Amino acid sequence: MISVSKLLCDLDAEGDGLRYDAADESTKRQIRDEKQRRPVVVWNVTKQCNLYCDHCYAAADTEIADGELSTAEGKALLDDLADYGAPVVLFSGGEPLVRNDLEELVAYANEVGVRPVLSTNGTLITEERARSLKDAGLKYAGVSVDGLPERNDDFRGVDGAFEGAVQGIENCLDAGLKTGLRYTITERNAADLEGVVDLLTDVGVDRFCFYHLDYGGRGTEIVDADLTPEDRRQAVKRVCDMTREYHDRGEEIETLLVGNYADAAYLVEYAREHMSDAQAQRVYEYLRVNGGDPTGERVADVDYQGNVHLTQFWQGYSLGNVRDRSFGAIWEDESNPLLRALRNREDHLTGKCADCRYAGVCRGASRLRALTVEDDLFAPDPQCYLDDAEVHGPLPFDTGGNSVAGGSSAD
Amino acid sequence: MEEFDHEVDAPRGATSREWEVFVREDTADSLTHVGSVSAPSADIAREQAASLFARTAVTLWLCPADETHRYQTADVTLGAGQTGEDATMSVDEMESETLRGENR
Repeated sequence: MISVSKLLCDLDAEGDGLRYDAADESTKRQIRDEKQRRPVVVWNVTKQCNLYCDHCYAAADTEIADGELSTAEGKALLDDLADYGAPVVLFSGGEPLVRNDLEELVAYANEVGVRPVLSTNGTLITEERARSLKDAGLKYAGVSVDGLPERNDDFRGVDGAFEGAVQGIENCLDAGLKTGLRYTITERNAADLEGVVDLLTDVGVDRFCFYHLDYGGRGTEIVDADLTPEDRRQAVKRVCDMTREYHDRGEEIETLLVGNYADAAYLVEYAREHMSDAQAQRVYEYLRVNGGDPTGERVADVDYQGNVHLTQFWQGYSLGNVRDRSFGAIWEDESNPLLRALRNREDHLTGKCADCRYAGVCRGASRLRALTVEDDLFAPDPQCYLDDAEVHGPLPFDTGGNSVAGGSSAD
Repeated sequence: MEEFDHEVDAPRGATSREWEVFVREDTADSLTHVGSVSAPSADIAREQAASLFARTAVTLWLCPADETHRYQTADVTLGAGQTGEDATMSVDEMESETLRGENR
């Protein structure tokens, strides 16, 4: 995740320590004081879902699938994640609210010290469930909306899904739950981006996460509907411009870009062009500490059957299963040559990634997209939208071990 | 001596058959389990696994997960209990709950 509001507008957030090792500078209470050493774990608690979204990485459907972890097994998994030091568990699906024990699992995660957060389509969040999730200790609910009403409902396969999600958001906010938007940008919905933000800020949402499409699950079937490189650059620029415009008006929304670390390079270039060299250097330093694409390192996924994946989007390959051995044992096992190679990917990247001057803040972005489109694990990410001038040349800044805290602030 | 009296018999496939993958990086090495791939057939599983491991492996074995009997000692199992269908809404309940939040 790349926080546009932090990097361009200096908005402090709970994730500053976790993401940028910048807890000391932040005015917000922190999830962790130090940069994460263990992965954030997405747990798909079920494959069942009440909607049928075109881009679902989990290929979810309405039927209950065999082999879901039971409540007892789920608690044992949470113990396991706590023992390993996972900072955050993201309850996802399918639609996690179809599990009647979700509140029990959220409360247990809280009890053992793994921060519980939620990814949901929002349409099952009644007032009662919003309150019970808040009471269970849920820290954050991310609700997926992928366009203005007509476009969103078309994307999600159910009429009324937009209104249902907005009602779910309102119920969360009324219950005192921190709530944000998840928006996957594609060619079909890019035009709605600002309209959805305007509409949801009126509802009271102040956190917006924009996802690039990854090519897993049903996402592989709509690769053709993905943005062109030029359209992607324009969409990212609009997120940057919009964030600064909101902040200039005194509305301190938090905005994040997720799933394509070419954005890291773009944000440095954006800051240099539209703000100042000093701001660009500050952005670069934060992103250097952040460390680029997190696949197989700072993010992990456990699916509903207990299979461990490199990210939530990469469901077609599993490292192992938590019913066989602990999550930590699976994640630490570098006898697996794929895991070893991914963790040293800078030695293997090819094409324009091999000598890209932004490799340190990007690390080749999505290996899953490269594998899906190019059938080559270390080929350039087909979503990279950087031009030759941005890719080639000396390092953007002489890092020299400068701390972010010591850098100049924006003008 | 511990007995391998716990069988892990939960299914592992999500959208298609799951295939356990074993590789050897050198003929002197032991065969190593390196996870599993989802694929509808052995040929496609081979393609999937090769795309991940052909860079370094000299040997690739595939075994259908549903033909693999997994036994272990009780102390390494993941808690107790059956698989979790009872924790999940029925389809009827799920449908009746959908969008209910807007009717307050």
